[in-house]
Amino acid sequence: MKRTLFSAALTVALALTAGCGSAAGPAAPTGDASGKLVVWDWKSGDAKAASYVAKAKADFAKQHPGVTVEFVAQPYDQYYTLLGAAVQAKRGPDVMLFNGGGQIRDRVADLVPLDPYVADDRSRLSGWDAFSKDGKTYAEPVTLQGHPVYYDKGLYEKAGLDPAAPPRTWEEFVRDCGTISAKTGAKCLALGNKEGAGIQFWLSAMGTASLTPQEYTDWIAGKRNWTSPDVKRVFELWKLANDSGLNTDGPNSTAMFNDAFALFQSSKAANVIGLMSDVGHWKDFAEFLGADKVGVMTAPQVNPAATPSLPYDGGIGYAVAKSTKDPKLAADLVRSLSSTDALKSFYADSGAIAADTSIDVSAAGPAVATIVSEVKTGKPALHVALSSKTLDLMGRLSQELLSGSIGVDEVLQQLAASDKG
Amino acid sequence: MPGYSPAPVDRAPARPAGRPAPARRAPRGTRLERWAPLVLVAPAVLIVLLLRLWPLLLGVNFSFTGDGDRNGTAVGFDNYVALFGDPLFRTALRNVGLLVLLLPVAVAIPGLLATFIHLKVPGHRVYRGVYFFPAVLSPVIVGTIFNLLLAFDGPVNALLGLADLGPVDWLGNPGVAIFTVVGVHVWATFGMALVVFLAGFSTLDSSLLDAAKVDGASLLQTLRHVIVPGLSRTIQFVFVTTMIGMLTSMFGLLYVMTSGGPAGSTYLPEYYVWIQQGQLNQPALASAASTVLFLIMLVVGLAQIAVLRRTGKED
Repeated sequence: MKRTLFSAALTVALALTAGCGSAAGPAAPTGDASGKLVVWDWKSGDAKAASYVAKAKADFAKQHPGVTVEFVAQPYDQYYTLLGAAVQAKRGPDVMLFNGGGQIRDRVADLVPLDPYVADDRSRLSGWDAFSKDGKTYAEPVTLQGHPVYYDKGLYEKAGLDPAAPPRTWEEFVRDCGTISAKTGAKCLALGNKEGAGIQFWLSAMGTASLTPQEYTDWIAGKRNWTSPDVKRVFELWKLANDSGLNTDGPNSTAMFNDAFALFQSSKAANVIGLMSDVGHWKDFAEFLGADKVGVMTAPQVNPAATPSLPYDGGIGYAVAKSTKDPKLAADLVRSLSSTDALKSFYADSGAIAADTSIDVSAAGPAVATIVSEVKTGKPALHVALSSKTLDLMGRLSQELLSGSIGVDEVLQQLAASDKG
Repeated sequence: MPGYSPAPVDRAPARPAGRPAPARRAPRGTRLERWAPLVLVAPAVLIVLLLRLWPLLLGVNFSFTGDGDRNGTAVGFDNYVALFGDPLFRTALRNVGLLVLLLPVAVAIPGLLATFIHLKVPGHRVYRGVYFFPAVLSPVIVGTIFNLLLAFDGPVNALLGLADLGPVDWLGNPGVAIFTVVGVHVWATFGMALVVFLAGFSTLDSSLLDAAKVDGASLLQTLRHVIVPGLSRTIQFVFVTTMIGMLTSMFGLLYVMTSGGPAGSTYLPEYYVWIQQGQLNQPALASAASTVLFLIMLVVGLAQIAVLRRTGKED
């Protein structure tokens, strides 16, 4: 009898212990006015960003010496998955990094409008459009991200073309590509569309060469006419370029990041629509081709009524969570993360084009000088104005266009329906 | 010997005459012993209930709420209507159907290879070790390896070129990519099924194989009439585990090799859930897709259990 009682009591105790172990502990607060701010991003874990983060922290500490700032670096591939789950569970950070465009626009319900806090930074920084929705601003730009057309001056020279005078129209572009292919064996365009990103760059680059200024302004404002012949032309050329052999082989199974860029920097293709900041950009290409061999041009003109220009937007920027205890405090941190001194480090170490246009970039080579000068006349990128859902669909449809299983008209119909919401 | 049965034995000896019946045990002890099994089972049951079933119910409940502006609002079956109206989700379901159709291939390959190993073809000891090797590789490593091998300008197309065959865009052609990924998955996972088959062979009476050989049966006849019936339970087990693996473990390969493309042609419901929740910020819609995937698994699992039971009766 005693043995039975003891065994039963022990079992009950073990069961209760198991029960206690599975109970959730009390939710820890994400930060408070006099204590700590938590920042999530995918940058602070990068060695190239260490100096940038340190300077941003120093700038913030001057104004708020008692507040601790904790950076939590998340892997980029899962960043939005983790962020979405954390915000849903009310355990998100106070400040978080976003790409410009659809990702932040889809989540503005969880963010604080920053307009009351960032007035002093308006004129110093560029790229605000990418972080705005319905007239309100939700993040402050850190970098600019755009889609210049890079060309390999070395290949142009080998083909007997003047590297200082890149083609200005589509006809010239195609003719020059034919010359380059014949003389050097290189393809015209390095294209990676495995993730559906190639079409985004194409739309934004070639859109400036095809849409009239009015169509362009309407597009950015949300009045997009998918039946316009000028819009259709962009997608027709996407298919035409591939069918006529201008693109590198197998674009639907080539990753943009970084296989397509590798093709360009190894001179297997004479041109690529790349980026301005962080990756697939002038600094990467310069390491392989030489800084003086990296050329930058605006997209070759397709429509005489269009004025080709550099399409760019805010690339990344920090936002404030609605759930933060003190929005003003968090906004001050956001402003420190976009301070001139911090952005100088980001530019110098990462090769990012900083959102702060007052930073001197003259030592970085001709490609950067061209990019920065074109920023002045550049326009917001067309694809950044689209929602994540429409971009996702456009990626898939563009792959079908390349494989020949769908026509341009049907693509435009589906995109129009998706864009309408 | 049919009809034989042992002589019946007394179940219990008769109580010696004259001895009084033993006293009834104390009610307290009886009650404790009656509850003990429940107490002992409780921790495992609680874990399943709290960490599996309760979250499942929460997820199903969540699938009846909205996303974005309608976050937290009840929307009835809107998410399910949206799901089945989405061509991408329909592609994912169609791919599930394709996996079911390809299942016999995924089972036959390790089955045949195990047969050859068991029949001791030359080199069988080497093959035994080599075939299991892919099973220890992470899907990300496998995906990366095959990305290189199957690239448009990769070695496989180079070999095809030597034979004057046109290059195939294995991962970039919407009509081909799903078969490519499934093929790689079968390559990566058949080692486990092979081991199960080899274990099954150890329970096969070797005298049956000898008798078949003496009677002059061909390999195909031996396979059909001796090996398959003898390993029927093993075959069913491999079917179940392979199906589960295909439906729930191909995410890594899909992510690395095709990112669900091209044109969404290699989506599976699991990948769809990940994209909707993570990339497009639609967690409620993702919950609905998860619920559909769960129901698919339930139906497939129950169907296979039913087949197993019927097979068991035949034994």
